[in-house]
Amino acid sequence: MNPQDTALAACAVIAVYAAIRVALEPDTLRKLPFLNVLSFAVAGSIALILPHPLSLVAAAAYFVGTTLESNAIASTYAGGLDRRE
Amino acid sequence: MDISLLAFVHILVAAAVCWLNFIAIDLLFRLPASGGVVGATAIGKHIEAKGGALPGGIMMGNIVSSPDASAGTLLASCGVFIAGIPGGLLTALLVFIGNRICNDPGYAGTTGAISATFIVSAFTLIGFSPAEFIAGMVIAILTIQGISHRHSSRLLAYLWRARGG
Repeated sequence: MNPQDTALAACAVIAVYAAIRVALEPDTLRKLPFLNVLSFAVAGSIALILPHPLSLVAAAAYFVGTTLESNAIASTYAGGLDRRE
Repeated sequence: MDISLLAFVHILVAAAVCWLNFIAIDLLFRLPASGGVVGATAIGKHIEAKGGALPGGIMMGNIVSSPDASAGTLLASCGVFIAGIPGGLLTALLVFIGNRICNDPGYAGTTGAISATFIVSAFTLIGFSPAEFIAGMVIAILTIQGISHRHSSRLLAYLWRARGG
């Protein structure tokens, strides 16, 4: 295996592990760090599978998107912003 | 040495380098001090309730809630893998935009991406592949966010106290 395949294998194994941990964790807010690991592994896999400048943009957009979703989920569970006047 | 064993050793070295890069920059930018958004503080409190330490939990919440130096290191490794140093600097710009989208006023992600671009490029001169740094960063974030929140938050809180709070 060349370095790229070895790196992809490591990312894939960690992605599956993180997905299992997300499924097993009962507390929603404590799921999010595991989901973060999953996003890292998937963003890395996108760049490793398709080495093209556009996949770099796709990996960054995917990663920022999942971070924003986790941000929104966590803030909603925490009560969100108090907008009452 | 067998080529895949060599790649495996390289990935472990890359994981250690990425770990030091993102932890040092996140501590420098005071991520454990307070949650950037209410969700980050809430994640910290839930981790504390399970036996973790609050400053470490808040830093983990901040890592979840906005692209920080760890995300910068990962995306810069991807950038250097695909397009060399210009690719790494392009990801620094994308991380900067991502920070603003996530309502994060800080510069930890951008700084992490720029420093990682040059670190990864330097390591390619001594036989490392940027692909190994992508896997290395995934392993580095796994040790903080994906194994034991109780122990990793305590470790981060210890490092935060060592930095001087």
